[in-house]
Amino acid sequence: MVKTERVAANNIESTPGNAWLIGTAAWFIPGIGHALQKRWFRAALLGGAVWLSFFIGLRMGGHMFDLSPSQGSSALLQVPPMIANLGTGALYIVSWLLGTGFADDPVQAARATYEYGNTFLLIAGLLNYLTMLDAFDIAAGRKE
Amino acid sequence: MRHFLVMCLFAALASVVFGAMAKDTHHERVLYGLKVFAEFIIIGLALAWVLYFIPW
Repeated sequence: MVKTERVAANNIESTPGNAWLIGTAAWFIPGIGHALQKRWFRAALLGGAVWLSFFIGLRMGGHMFDLSPSQGSSALLQVPPMIANLGTGALYIVSWLLGTGFADDPVQAARATYEYGNTFLLIAGLLNYLTMLDAFDIAAGRKE
Repeated sequence: MRHFLVMCLFAALASVVFGAMAKDTHHERVLYGLKVFAEFIIIGLALAWVLYFIPW
């Protein structure tokens, strides 16, 4: 290792423990990661976008994915969209426990807004992953 | 019309998050969010017209 690399390696600070906690909380409840750091406006904006996207998706009749195979497709194909859905944290878990948003019946699928709903639910999870990373970076001091 | 409004809503929610997370100053963030919103709409409309002529 050359001298400059050694100096750079010594300057890297370890991530504070509370950053991991805040990151986990931010994933579990959208917006809470910023709220815990008293970034109220950011919490309302980012968390609000995730919550809104999730409930609009549900209202449109979208459905979330879990590992149960549906309509002949394998469970493996359900994994990527499930990871996206899982990004909403507690919203996904509570919906799964209540059985809300997991119905895959033909009547629901025939709704004009069904595919839109699916997309909004997927995007809610993916946006919350971004929000979680933002909260983590702020807590770790990597971002203002 | 409803499809377009849903697309606008989707673009607004995504661009709010992208805009809030990117750049350094408040002004830059607003501009970036607006730019992302416009890109979503323009690309969405362009794709819609391309797909309109594909017969499937």
